[in-house]
Amino acid sequence: MMGGNVLAPGEAAWILFGGFFALLALRVPVAVALGMACLPVMLIEPRLGAMTLMQETFNAYNSFILLAVPFFLLTANLMNVGGITDRLVRLSRALVGHFPGGLAQINVVLSFFFAGISGSSTADAASQSKIFIEAQRREGYDDSFSVAITAVSAVLAVIIPPSILMIVWGGVLTVSIGALFLAGVIPGLLIGLVQMATVHAYAKKRGYPTYPRANLREVGFATWISLPALMTPFIIIGGKIFGWFTATESACIAVLYAGMLSLVVYREMDLKALYGALGETGRLAAVALFCVGTASAFGWLLAYYKIPEAILTGVSAWGMGKIMTGFFIAGVFLVVGCFLDAIPAIIIVGAILQPLAMEVGIHPVHFAMIGIVSLAFGLVTPPYGLCLMIACHVAGMKMGAVIKDTIIMLLPMFAVLGLVIMWPDVSLILPRLISPEFLE
Amino acid sequence: MREAGIRHAVHRMAEFYSRFLSLLLALSVLILVFPVTLQIFARFTDFLPHYIWTEEMARFLLVWTIMIGAMVGLKEGIHFNVDLWPTLHGRARAALDLVSGVFVLIFAAAFFWYGIEFVDFAWFRISELAELPLWLIHLAWPLLGFSWLLFGGLKFYDDLKTLFGGEAP
Repeated sequence: MMGGNVLAPGEAAWILFGGFFALLALRVPVAVALGMACLPVMLIEPRLGAMTLMQETFNAYNSFILLAVPFFLLTANLMNVGGITDRLVRLSRALVGHFPGGLAQINVVLSFFFAGISGSSTADAASQSKIFIEAQRREGYDDSFSVAITAVSAVLAVIIPPSILMIVWGGVLTVSIGALFLAGVIPGLLIGLVQMATVHAYAKKRGYPTYPRANLREVGFATWISLPALMTPFIIIGGKIFGWFTATESACIAVLYAGMLSLVVYREMDLKALYGALGETGRLAAVALFCVGTASAFGWLLAYYKIPEAILTGVSAWGMGKIMTGFFIAGVFLVVGCFLDAIPAIIIVGAILQPLAMEVGIHPVHFAMIGIVSLAFGLVTPPYGLCLMIACHVAGMKMGAVIKDTIIMLLPMFAVLGLVIMWPDVSLILPRLISPEFLE
Repeated sequence: MREAGIRHAVHRMAEFYSRFLSLLLALSVLILVFPVTLQIFARFTDFLPHYIWTEEMARFLLVWTIMIGAMVGLKEGIHFNVDLWPTLHGRARAALDLVSGVFVLIFAAAFFWYGIEFVDFAWFRISELAELPLWLIHLAWPLLGFSWLLFGGLKFYDDLKTLFGGEAP
């Protein structure tokens, strides 16, 4: 009996985690499973009561930081209906279309550009599945390869700034979001490069088609028409670094900019498309954020019973060094990422692991990058890998059919994750060079 | 015959209600942009008034957006779940959906019941900056409970029909 609670921490942990996983297995939606696991504990504990669930979900939604989520989704949707994406496809084709497996290379490079504008991998997976999977099918690519590369390249969106995960991480665990934005650039570039190398290897082995090389004029023209869109990351990240606006405001600027390009510059969006983009944004954002509420209540209960400390004393006793702890953290996030969406995972697990990382002296920004990259990989790992689920859904395939190719593509990405863990400078060098005050 | 008529009417009502919610959802996403834009531009220009309530207004709008979207999400079945048996269909699927449906309904009932208390609790309180009545925001909780009971209940009923009547939903 601790602090006058009815339940001992161990009992509460069993009800919370046991209830959650049992409900997940019964196919109860994740958000409901998290909330339903909290309810019995709150009802048993006379000091809490079910009102705690109402209050904690309210506190979670009543957050200026989370506003960035609908904004970044809206930016992505406006890009798609407003002709921005089409122009970036053209630029990607001019740049890498002549490589072996041209269309799949374009798929990766477009994700890279997209990542610099949108901060949402699910939005990337949804839009690129529609663009590429059918097109690659027609050009004779294997279905499982097409689905896997579309899903796997979509994870770049949360690693390359701006990123919803970085904003949530910065807000929940009080780390400078500007520093996280800068820290994501090099890991993102590296992951993009190994994905292109993977496509190259596949294309050589299976003889995937290629396009004729674009001449300099075409490259120049494609760059010129994409220029307004390519400016977006500089506006968002620059605005954040120079302190012109906050992270959420930068997401709002991205919406305004994408809206302006779609309505005024490219003029390809009509009212119906706008309504569609707004509805799509509302659905995706609400479903993702509703889960944040119940996850916060779950995390709040864990903290109430001091369960993280109990787990940590066990782990600290192993006496791991910096690098081993880094691998341990990545492992935990990778496993959790298989079952949970990234945002609730940050809220629940990020808070549990932070003291462990601090104890061995891992820099908070470095810790964040290990977590974000690992959770990004979780977006394509079954049974709960949102990007893979979306790509499979568009292609009309079962997840089981694409797992093999997905895992093959993940292997070189794991090498990059290893590099991020062992060599903190991969993440820390840019923030240190550009704005060292963020690392204080 | 009579039963089928009632069922039809309830379905149509739910359909109408969810369309209404969809419209509200799209509108609320659009409206979200305004207070934040105002907040940014007011900082860099002199002619816009620098309101203190823009941030709070944006947060409350977000709360409603999330709750309305979550209501529509249940109707459309887009809340994420971990599906260990994705290949099932017909009666087996209906049976499994009934199991998860029970928990969704309990959750909805809890939000409805305790949500009313949540509204009552905020009845005389106002927000810190914009001084809005707080119950207006808390109202989203019992409303979500009600909407989920309606949409979830209809799905539950259809699954029961599929399981026992062999009737296609």
